[in-house]
Amino acid sequence: MRIGLVCPYTWDVPGGVQYHVRDLAQTLIGRGHHVQVLTSVNDEDELPPYATSAGRAVPIRYNGSVARLQFGPVAAARVRRWLRDGHFDVLHVHEPSTPSLSLLTCMLAKGPIVATFHAATVRSRWLAASQGFLQPFMERISGRIAVSDLARRVQVEHLGGDAVVIPNGVDVSRFASAVPLPGYPRSGPTIGFLGRFDERRKGLPVLIEALSRLAPDHPDLRLLVAGRGDASDLYAGLPDRVGDRITVLGEISEDDKTRMLASLDIYCAPNLGGESFGVILVEAMAAGTAIVASDLDAFRRVLDDGAAGVLVRRASAEALADGLAQLLADPSRRAALVRSGRAAVRAYDWPNVSERVLAVYETVASRVGGEVVVSTDP
Amino acid sequence: MSSQTILVIVLAVLAVVLIWIASTVARLDRLDDRVLAARSALDAQLVRRAALAQAIADEHPGTLGGRVEELRLAAHEALNADDTAREEAENRLGHVLRAVEPELGRLPPQLRVELRSITERVVLARRFYNDAVRDNRQLRGQGLSRVFRLAARRAMPAHFDIDDRPAQVADTPLPG
Repeated sequence: MRIGLVCPYTWDVPGGVQYHVRDLAQTLIGRGHHVQVLTSVNDEDELPPYATSAGRAVPIRYNGSVARLQFGPVAAARVRRWLRDGHFDVLHVHEPSTPSLSLLTCMLAKGPIVATFHAATVRSRWLAASQGFLQPFMERISGRIAVSDLARRVQVEHLGGDAVVIPNGVDVSRFASAVPLPGYPRSGPTIGFLGRFDERRKGLPVLIEALSRLAPDHPDLRLLVAGRGDASDLYAGLPDRVGDRITVLGEISEDDKTRMLASLDIYCAPNLGGESFGVILVEAMAAGTAIVASDLDAFRRVLDDGAAGVLVRRASAEALADGLAQLLADPSRRAALVRSGRAAVRAYDWPNVSERVLAVYETVASRVGGEVVVSTDP
Repeated sequence: MSSQTILVIVLAVLAVVLIWIASTVARLDRLDDRVLAARSALDAQLVRRAALAQAIADEHPGTLGGRVEELRLAAHEALNADDTAREEAENRLGHVLRAVEPELGRLPPQLRVELRSITERVVLARRFYNDAVRDNRQLRGQGLSRVFRLAARRAMPAHFDIDDRPAQVADTPLPG
């Protein structure tokens, strides 16, 4: 198939949607399809051969987040040229409800269009205000995909549409083949946390309290912490006996993240709430690491209701400490969980996810050789 | 206000209304096209499903327990149903396929994979068709669309409702 992907965010800025579009493009190309990506980019030399630049996006702050505006005659001309040159069987735009290339493409193209909705956070004022304006363009979409149940619910409740849930893909082999960090695995047990440690709902304070409960009985236990946040603040608030049990790695690269996960005995997700998916759990399972996580709905789904990881009562340091202690004392259970985890992640592996996305493409693509063209409607 | 000013205002309002009508008619056209395309895609998947069910009944009768005739009949009816009987026939076929599901483990793997793939596509095609119908009906029911009866001469699209929850074809390994 000839497939046209549109990325609404700047390609060379790190971001989940950008990685998703990149990985999807590469997987589809690997399966023999002809794929082109249209995206904004700061430095055109950063673009892979299958991508075309639509110029720079103008970042605009609104409602605590940043939208990337890409409108105007220059962007429109590039979109039209890309469509004309592409002769696509199907278009796949990402996050079309933000004022960006994806929305512009919906306005300018005529033909089968698939849209993927990534965001689960609801900017309800923006969505409510813009729904009337967006409706004529959302109507041009033939099939909608959401990356999580929460993202789908945003669609159903706020934008009056439904969506097929196809999760974000993960490159399982990259995590499975990762080499542990130097000095790991250690002789003693290592647990890990990855996330913003200054955001309360990520749950690091709960984990630290659990660690202080475990410390007396587990002299060799260490905690590895990676992510964004102020390390000195973190050290300042620590209870006494815990300070030398924690190693803070700070912000790490994608590659180091795979290595960190491969270095752990147990990955811990003590989140208090607000998670729509929990891709880090999928990544930890792919790396072959056992998991202890709070019993959030999203985590329960990913961990197959406790079959692929231990679920503990959220916001309770005592429950978390108990769960960790039990798992630390039981290596055969850890091994069993790791095995279940490896089986569970197959559903999130890019070959399987891309297969499902292709099923959507094939369902909406026209049978009579109709291709995507530039719209001549008002 | 002078009568000239009033005239200008009236003409301006008229122009806005006419532009609005033109763009709404264009939207209705697009939504009708979308419903047609989605219906055609749904038909294609339903036909593939019924044809595969028929092939399974004809070529592998031993795998279906006592339900060969039931499956063959359901597939035949689904393939030959007219519009009014279509939903019911497809619904019945779906039920029979789910009922024979425990037996299908003895089918050759390619057929199991194909059946699972077609079942998934029926679900997708029906979802997208019903989405199109909903958007279409919503626009027809809106504000000035209703007032000017812009969709008066177009046939109202109908939802397609069947129980298409997928049969779990047991432990089919993915090819390759």
